[in-house]
Amino acid sequence: MYKVKILIVCGSGVATSMHAAYKLQQYFDEEKILVHIDGAGNNELEGRAPSYDIILSTTMVTANIDKPVFNAIALLTGIGEKELAAEVISKVKEIMQEKGDK
Amino acid sequence: MTEIEISVENILVNETVDSNEEIIRRLGTLLQKNGYVKDTYLQSVLDREIIFPTGLQTKTLGFAIPHTDAEHVKKTTVAIATLEKPVIFREMGSADDEISVSVVMMLAVRDPKQVVDTLVKVISILENEVTIEKLEKATTALEIYDAFYEHIQQVSDKKAAGSISH
Repeated sequence: MYKVKILIVCGSGVATSMHAAYKLQQYFDEEKILVHIDGAGNNELEGRAPSYDIILSTTMVTANIDKPVFNAIALLTGIGEKELAAEVISKVKEIMQEKGDK
Repeated sequence: MTEIEISVENILVNETVDSNEEIIRRLGTLLQKNGYVKDTYLQSVLDREIIFPTGLQTKTLGFAIPHTDAEHVKKTTVAIATLEKPVIFREMGSADDEISVSVVMMLAVRDPKQVVDTLVKVISILENEVTIEKLEKATTALEIYDAFYEHIQQVSDKKAAGSISH
């Protein structure tokens, strides 16, 4: 089974990306889907994005990224969090299916 | 797990300020005076706030969580200020949306991986309306400290209870 890789980015990689990664991981645990989640600072985004399948960010993404990007702020405030988690989970399932077919 | 040390000496209650810069300066100066951050921290937070704004709208009021890179921090902690009148912060992740902020939690994070558990508990205050109301109504630093610790304790208990039921 393909393990989808998710990168969560914030301004400096010390606080909000860590928090969002932790929260998102719980949703995948509940779904019993194995994913790999990393947190990083915004300055690492362009360099690291090619190695990941999905990007979440608490900052504006201005870099040109060829991957699905989600706004991670719902994971901080809880407002719209379940909806965001559902979107990311469905994207992950989509990617697992695509990669599984190959 | 390393717990974050939170101290009453880093808490300000019902401060009156005219701008987000002013409250960032007060909290940053406090953290520096009390030995938690290097003298480069304050300016770095101010610069960061312009590039990566930290205003967040919760269900009931506006929060801001100004912070910066780990290299400017000596010891992980959180400084907290409640404001007499809200000031404008730009919204996290946006170009020019504004949030009217009444509570500022300034994070000083030395080693994010080591404190991620506590960091999660601290940031999860944003989702706890009961704690937010207590922060808003607090008239002393000690009340804020208590509300803060009560929240962290609750989240810990919930997690412990959850792990038993698995």
